Amino acid sequence: MSKSDRAERLLNVLFALMASARPMPKSALREVIDAYRESPSEEAFERMFERDKDELRGMGIPIETIEGTDGSGGIEGYRILRDAYALPEVHFTGDELAVLGLAAKVWEQASLGACAQRALRKLESLGDGAVVDGPVGIEARIATTEACFPVLLEAVRNRQAVSFEYRKPQAATADARHVHPWGVVSRRGHWYVVGHDVDRDEARVFRLSRIVGIAMPQGPSHAYEIPSGLDVASMVATSTPEEFDTATIAIKAATALSLTRRAISIEGDVAQIPFGDEDAFAAELVGYADSIVVLSPDSLRATVIDRLRTLTRPELAS
Amino acid sequence: MTARVSETAGARLSRLLAMVPWLAANDGVTIEQAARHFGITEKQLQADLWLLICTGRPGHLHGDLVDIQFWDEDGSIHVLDAQTLDRPLRLSPDEASALAVALRYLEQVPGLDQRDVLTSAIAKLETAAGEALAAADGVSVSVDAAVSSEVGSVVATALANDRRVHLMYVSASDQRSERDVDPMRLLSIDGRSYLEGWCLAAGAVRTFRLDRIERITLLDVPTSIPDDVTGVDLTSGLRPDGPAVTLELQPEAAWIADEYPNESVEDLADGRVVVTLRVSDDTWLIRLLMRMGTSVRVIDRPDVARAVVQAAERALARYSL
Repeated sequence: MSKSDRAERLLNVLFALMASARPMPKSALREVIDAYRESPSEEAFERMFERDKDELRGMGIPIETIEGTDGSGGIEGYRILRDAYALPEVHFTGDELAVLGLAAKVWEQASLGACAQRALRKLESLGDGAVVDGPVGIEARIATTEACFPVLLEAVRNRQAVSFEYRKPQAATADARHVHPWGVVSRRGHWYVVGHDVDRDEARVFRLSRIVGIAMPQGPSHAYEIPSGLDVASMVATSTPEEFDTATIAIKAATALSLTRRAISIEGDVAQIPFGDEDAFAAELVGYADSIVVLSPDSLRATVIDRLRTLTRPELAS
Repeated sequence: MTARVSETAGARLSRLLAMVPWLAANDGVTIEQAARHFGITEKQLQADLWLLICTGRPGHLHGDLVDIQFWDEDGSIHVLDAQTLDRPLRLSPDEASALAVALRYLEQVPGLDQRDVLTSAIAKLETAAGEALAAADGVSVSVDAAVSSEVGSVVATALANDRRVHLMYVSASDQRSERDVDPMRLLSIDGRSYLEGWCLAAGAVRTFRLDRIERITLLDVPTSIPDDVTGVDLTSGLRPDGPAVTLELQPEAAWIADEYPNESVEDLADGRVVVTLRVSDDTWLIRLLMRMGTSVRVIDRPDVARAVVQAAERALARYSL
């Protein structure tokens, strides 16, 4: 059986199920589809039909199974309702199609890109004919290079548990996590998965690049409910530490600009800068070298001085 | 284009189902245009059309079959009878959400012109996709919020009208500069937005992160970009150019290997990582090394290692120690 024959057969099955006002019994299909009629046995026909039905349904074609009215639970036949098959009547202007074209190019990853392209192909038939080049001068890309991205995306969609090895920042080893994923979020160039950590019984955010190896789906689909009204993007945003303290820092004019930009107030060359994690902030401040002097708090000042001293003695570093 | 030897029946059927309504909606397109639109050869397109006109309702009598005329000398295609394929198949949840997530991402990009078109396209996609769109809620791409709305709107105006801009810009290594730029494209890569343009001072194409633009002024001067200039190749995202530098990272600094685009990464058995990065600016590298302290060692740039020590000594002197 060549591929061309199979595509033709699938198309004829589709036409047959759409053409009939009444559900079409399997036996009638065997009559009208050449390959079914010519199949050597009832079993061979059944297998071929089941495979074709799965293929068509897999493409999103709504084949309905209609049970008989005699109460025996037997199947009367199959049908495809045109309104269930077809896209609703929506019309896109040339400009709108151009924007959809731009969106379809956003995904770098092959499977998402192909899905977006297929969607575009369908919607393009609903255009008013005028093809436009697209919004001037914009290109947008989203990379999904993490190996576990497709698995997690599918797990979210199927509501299926996953397990993976996760290495926390500053930890030398990874540990096993069992998670019910709720959503995947891209923020500042990194992908995160948000979900319920089963072992810790808490909502957690995991960065995909810290997952060691691959994520494995576990157990059945529809295994849990995703909390309604959940805003996964803001969960990732708030999982970064908040600012809770303010440092007083002397900054040489026209230096340390990315620091100055965060100042809540500046008097002369002394700025007030809010910060969260003191160690992380001290590390950043060391990077500004002699452009700045930390005046307070004392603990921050001491940490910065310590780190600078260590840098001047590279021979002590192991 | 190579022959599609590996194409499955399902993939081909999917194209055929999209092809009939598209050809019907674009009456008279040529075989060449249609092949280009679907990304296949003209030969494959003709094979698709031959297959289509052999299919139809059971009975396969005249009037039951799909009827497409495609043998005119000018190569034009006319759908005479689409049977029940005159409308495209519904979007699957995967298809609807791949497109919807990308559109919602674009909607947040600062400096995008024609925002009203985007809004109406999203609304229509929601109508067209219906329940299939529920899957899109599980995926979200956040755009950096740190871009001022003024920067965004000046960039949009400049791009739409081909006008030169004057920038006050702070580079990644904290250098402030002022320059005139002829905008070429707005790039939005993984949630960060950049203005790509012809920099008159550098005489080259440069990209400027929108959140690092301190001030932008629209000039009353049309852009003048040399004809042979092309934009940055985005096939693998934006990558810095410059000499390679190799760093040895302790486990607590291993994040550097996935934070910055790199040339190669080698995991050592004890949890340390050796990474090679391209660095366009030593100032940026020195700052990174100072921040990271003993958790990062530069392997192949002794001059940079010395500069780090000297900078630390100068800084300590300011604390009168």
